[in-house]
Amino acid sequence: MIGYLLRRIGHGLFLLLGVSLLVFLLMQAAPGDFFSTATLSERMSQETVHALRAQYGLDQPLPVRYVRWLTSALHGEFGYSFSYNMPASALLLPRARNTLLLTVPSLLISWLIAVPLGVFAAWRRVGWIDRLYSGGTSALLGMHDLLLALLALMLALHTGVFPTGGMSSFSASGTLLTDWKDLLWHMALPVSVLVAGSVAPILRHVRSSMIEVLDSRYIRAAEGHGLGPLTVLFRHALPAAANPLISLFGLSTALLLGGSLLVEVVMSWPGLGPMVLEAILGRDMFLVVGAVMLSTVFLICGNFLADLLLYVFDPRIRLDA
Amino acid sequence: MPGPLPVSDVLLRTQRLSLEYTGADGSTISALRDVTLELQPHETVGILGESGSGKSSLSHAILRLLPPNGKIISGKIEYSGEDILALSRRELRQVRGAGIALIAQEPALALNPVLTIERQIIDVLRAHRRVSKQEAMEQTRAMLREVGFTDPERIGRAYPHQLSGGQRQRAAIAQALICNPRVLIADEPLSSLDAVTQAEILELLEKLKRDLHLSMIFITHNSGVLSSLADRVAVMREGEIQACGTLEQLARGTDEYVRALMFPEKNIPTRSSSIASLAASTSAEPLLRLDRVSKHFLQRRFLSRNVFQVQALKNIDLQIAEGASVAIIGRSGSGKTTLARCVAGFERPDEGQILFSGSRSNDRSEIQLIFQDAGSALNPRFTAAEAIREPLDIARRLSFPQRQERALQLMEEAGLDSAWAGRKVGEFSGGQRQRIAIARALAAEPRMLILDESLSGLDLPLQAQILRLLMDLQARHGLTYLHITHDLNFLPFFADQVVVMDQGTIVETGTPATLLESPQPVTKSLVAASERLHVAGMEVAL
Repeated sequence: MIGYLLRRIGHGLFLLLGVSLLVFLLMQAAPGDFFSTATLSERMSQETVHALRAQYGLDQPLPVRYVRWLTSALHGEFGYSFSYNMPASALLLPRARNTLLLTVPSLLISWLIAVPLGVFAAWRRVGWIDRLYSGGTSALLGMHDLLLALLALMLALHTGVFPTGGMSSFSASGTLLTDWKDLLWHMALPVSVLVAGSVAPILRHVRSSMIEVLDSRYIRAAEGHGLGPLTVLFRHALPAAANPLISLFGLSTALLLGGSLLVEVVMSWPGLGPMVLEAILGRDMFLVVGAVMLSTVFLICGNFLADLLLYVFDPRIRLDA
Repeated sequence: MPGPLPVSDVLLRTQRLSLEYTGADGSTISALRDVTLELQPHETVGILGESGSGKSSLSHAILRLLPPNGKIISGKIEYSGEDILALSRRELRQVRGAGIALIAQEPALALNPVLTIERQIIDVLRAHRRVSKQEAMEQTRAMLREVGFTDPERIGRAYPHQLSGGQRQRAAIAQALICNPRVLIADEPLSSLDAVTQAEILELLEKLKRDLHLSMIFITHNSGVLSSLADRVAVMREGEIQACGTLEQLARGTDEYVRALMFPEKNIPTRSSSIASLAASTSAEPLLRLDRVSKHFLQRRFLSRNVFQVQALKNIDLQIAEGASVAIIGRSGSGKTTLARCVAGFERPDEGQILFSGSRSNDRSEIQLIFQDAGSALNPRFTAAEAIREPLDIARRLSFPQRQERALQLMEEAGLDSAWAGRKVGEFSGGQRQRIAIARALAAEPRMLILDESLSGLDLPLQAQILRLLMDLQARHGLTYLHITHDLNFLPFFADQVVVMDQGTIVETGTPATLLESPQPVTKSLVAASERLHVAGMEVAL
C-alpha cells in the first residue's frame, strides 16, 4: 500500500514536470512576450525594454529560463508575474482559494441533490415523475451557465436580497461571525448557479446507472426476500451502481479550478479564472504556467481520489478475482 | 392426480391463474393460462418444462415479483388461507422471505456483488425479525453451518466473487431460509453447476426439506433430478399445466411432449458404426496431437506487486484421430476450457506443442469453436444470414450472391428454415441460436469442431435435438468433435473416447463404458453424481 502510494506520487510529479515543459514550449511558440506591447509604445525607449527583458531574464535561451523557473518552483514561488510584480504563487494561491470556495460547495451540493433524486427517478421510472425528471434535466442541460448567471444577477437586482457581485461587503468588517455570514451571503448566488449547471448531468448518470442495477437479478432476489424499498435502493442497489459514479466524481474534481470561469467573470468573483484569462491575454507567462500546474495537480489528485474511493467501495477491485 | 383437497390442508394454491406480458409494441403475450396448482404441507411439487413454458413466470407470480409489463389478469393465489393478490405491499413483504422464499436461477447473478454474504443474509433476517446485531450474526452463522459450510465466519465475510458456484448456491439457499419460510420455491437451482456440485446441492435441498419441514416447489427442465425429490410433478407447456402426477404415472403416459421431456435420449440415434470405424482406420497419424502441453496464468492483486501463478494445464498428452468424437469431462476449474482455447489457438501453451494435421502452425482456421452461450457469442443485431456469412465475407473467396446462397444452404443444413435468414439473431430462441452458431462454424469448412459446453445452457430435449444434428453433420462431413462438458448427459451417445480432467491434468482416458466401472476417484465422483442426478442416457453405455 505504501509502495503503491509512493509510486502514484512519483508518477504525479513526473506528469507535472512534463506538463510544465509542454506549457513552456507552447508559450514559446506563441508570438511575442509581456513586453511586446511596450516595444510599440513611443514613451519607452528600446534600451529600457531591453533592460527590462534582461532584468526578468527573458533574453535568456529557453533551457536556461526553464531551469530558472524550476529552481524558483522548488522555492515555492513558481516564477514571477510581470504585471503584478510579485511571485506567481503568492498571486495564484489566494485566487485559487476563492475559486474553491465556490466550486467545492457546489460540487458537494450537486452530488447531495443528484444522488437521492437520481435514485428516486430510477425507482419510479414510469409515469409523471419520470416526465417531470426528464423535462427538468433537459431544461437545465439546455441552459448555458452564462444565462443562469445572468438570471441570478437579475434576481439579485430586482429583489435586492442578494449582492450582485464580489466576495464581501465594504461595511462588513467586524467579528468573525459577521464576516462569515457576509461571505456566505455573497456565495449563495454563484454557488446556486454552479449547482444548477452541474446537477443535471450527474442526475442522469445516477439514474441510468441505478436503472441498470435495479433490473438485475440480485435486486429482484432481494425484493423476493421481502426487503423494504429503502433497504433495497440505498443499501443494496446504490453501492452496486456506485462504480461509474465514483469515476465521474473523480473527473469532476478536475474541473474545480476551471469550471467556474464564466460565473466568476459575470458575478465579479475574485477567483482564479478572470486572473488567468487576463494573464493569457497579457502574456504574463509564469502566471499561466502556474495556473496550468495547479489544474494538473487537481486532475491528478481527483483521479487518485477516485481510485481510492473505488478501492474502498468495490470489493471486486479490492480483493481481486 | 389426487382429488381436490380440503382448503385447510393446502398451504399454497394457485387457482386458474393467468398472466400476460405486454410487449414493447403493445401486443400481449400470454405466459400463464388457467394454472391451478396445490402444495400441501411438507410436500414437494416438481414443475417440469422447457424454457419458455412459463415455469419461472409462475414462481415470480406467486410472490408478485413480476416486471412492470407483467400482469395477472385472472385467478387467485392463496397462501395459508390468505389471498396474495389482495395483500398490501407491506403485508406482501412479510410473506416474501418469511412465508414463501425463492431461490432464483443462477446464484452468480442472484447475489449482490458488492455486499458480503453475511450482510445479505442479515438484511433479510432484519427485514422480518427484530433481532440484535449479535443475535442476527449468530443466526446467520448457524444457517451457514446448516447449509454445509464448516467455516461460516470466513464465508460470511466473503464477497460472492470469492466463492465457487456451488458455494454461492449454498449461500443463496442460506439467505432464502434464514427466516424459516414454510414454502421454498427453487427455480432451476442446479443450472450452471457442474455434475458433482449439482448432486451436492440436490442432496442439501433434500436434507433441508427434511430438517426444516419445508414444502417445496422445484422448477427444472431435467426430470432426472425430480425422481428422488418430488412427490408430484406438474408438466408445463406454453403456460399451461399439460399433465400432473407422480413421475411413475407420467412415465407410463403417452403424451408426446411429456415423454420428450422425460426421455430426451430417445430422440438421439445410436452412433453409427461407420463413423467409429472411420476413426479407427485413420489412426496412423492423429488429426490433433498434444505433447506435454502446459499453461499457467499470472494473477496480481490490486495495489500489490505479488504475482500468483495459477497452473491451468500440466503436461497434457492427447491424441485425437480424424472423425473421432472425444469428450473431455471434469468439474469447473479443471482446465477443460483452457485446453480447448489452446487447441483452438486462442492461447499459446507455455510448454509443449500442439500439432494439428501434422503442422505446428498457429493458424487453426480448420478448427472452429462453439461456445456455451450462443446468445452472447453472436452479435444480436446481425441477421441470421449475416452471422453465418461473416466467415465467408472475411475470406472473400466467393462472390456475394454465392456467399448468400451458401449461408442459406448452411441454415437448412443446421435445421433452420432459410426463410428466417432476414431475422435478427436476437429474435431466435436459445436452441435456434445454437443452430445458427453451428451453421456459422460450418461456413469456415472446418475439419474439427470444439463444443465448449455448447449444450449445457439448453433444456434436455433441446440438447438431444442439437446432438442429433451434430451427429448428422459428423456423418455427412467426416468432422472431428471435441466436446467439453461438466455433466455426463447423453455421454454414451456421442462420445467414443472420454478424457477425465482434474486440476489441469488428465486423470483417465477411456470409453463411456469403461468409465462407469473406473476405480479412479475423480471419475468415480463424477459417475456417482451423475447417477444421483439420474443423468439422461447413462444406461446405454452398460
